[in-house]
Amino acid sequence: MSTSSLEKIGAELRRGIVQIAALALLREPMHGYQLVKVLAEAGLETEEGTLYPLLRRLETQGLLRSEWDTAGARPRKYYTLSDEGRAALPLLESSWRQINTAVGTILASGVTAGVEEAKA
Amino acid sequence: MTNRGVQDWLEEAGGAMGGDATGRRDALLELESAIYEKVEERTATGESEEQAVEIVLRDMGDPVSIGHAFVPQSPIIAPERTRSFYLYTCALFAVHFVLVISATMAGQPLTLGPLQIRPIADSTPWNLFARAAEVLVFDAGVMLVAFMFRSRLGRLVRLRVAEERAGTNKRRHFETAAFLALVLVVANFLRDNLLALYLLDGDGEGTLQVPLLGSGFTNNLILFNVWMLLAMAREVWFGFKGETRGAMLLDVVARSVGIFCLLRIVATRKLVDLTAAKHVLGTDADTVGSLLNSAFSLIALVTAALIAIALVKRLFRLFA
Repeated sequence: MSTSSLEKIGAELRRGIVQIAALALLREPMHGYQLVKVLAEAGLETEEGTLYPLLRRLETQGLLRSEWDTAGARPRKYYTLSDEGRAALPLLESSWRQINTAVGTILASGVTAGVEEAKA
Repeated sequence: MTNRGVQDWLEEAGGAMGGDATGRRDALLELESAIYEKVEERTATGESEEQAVEIVLRDMGDPVSIGHAFVPQSPIIAPERTRSFYLYTCALFAVHFVLVISATMAGQPLTLGPLQIRPIADSTPWNLFARAAEVLVFDAGVMLVAFMFRSRLGRLVRLRVAEERAGTNKRRHFETAAFLALVLVVANFLRDNLLALYLLDGDGEGTLQVPLLGSGFTNNLILFNVWMLLAMAREVWFGFKGETRGAMLLDVVARSVGIFCLLRIVATRKLVDLTAAKHVLGTDADTVGSLLNSAFSLIALVTAALIAIALVKRLFRLFA
């Protein structure tokens, strides 16, 4: 498999994860660039071209609400969880944990099976 | 700080964005704010503005790709409804074209509620083909508007039931229930006005309202009402409680009643009765009536078959 294909799979995988991570972080109001930095510090490097449209989509879906802050030197759009988003977050968290456990089990069993096969 | 390079980049991204002007302005302002914030961070460390802008814009990526990523994805017909769109368009085309043929055979336009069906002036194969194409384009357009309206209306209504707030979408069931209620009202109360033919009378000056519906409709009306009410109850139940066993059982009963009702319509082949129009249409009334009944029977049969397939699937899910 080529490097670009691997990168594409990685990007797709990250995109799904970034959604839940962004929702979880936006329990507190943050602007887009701030969120990019927090995600990067947490180890989830995210491009602006992915994050900003994602935030707008989540807002359209009613999971986030936004507000412009024009008090500072530069206007900033702050995002935070809406009531719907707050209600949905525990469900998404539970789905995430389930997926995480399932994938972890599959990957571990795959490794074990590989080791067993090698031994045989 | 305003930089020419940044403005060009934003202009390019905005050009690729599409959507409404307010949303575009909002998105561009957000991007602009982020870009300048990053530039300011870099210039604070001693980089020149020109250098900082270059690096930041390179990191941001291709403006056209970013602009495209902002385009709201709202197709006129949602992918899950494409099949329904084709099915309804084919059904509408079949009925419409049979009516065109009927009008041609009767030698005068047929008026069905607000619609007037013109006859084909000259029945050459080319004219027939051209008219079929015209009818198909018209019907596809009508269905497109209907589906677009349905999606837009759905978004406007946004019934916020508990499940939807929790992240699952049950709104579609309430929309379907509302649609079924509309069908029920038309069938029971507006049928004489909407489901009738308005023909030109003998001397072509006045119009004659001819009841379109025959015994195949009136004899099955109670059964049809039961079917619609059960289907509405099922949709409301699905909407509030999701796919519970009770709702699925109700669904099975509703579908069974529907199949029975449709098969009775097929068996009687008397959905349309043009006896009253005989003095205008003459002997053609029988042919037109027969053609219409054949078309409606075919539609009823296909619909019954589709419901039967769905019923088998539902039973399998219920008992498997």
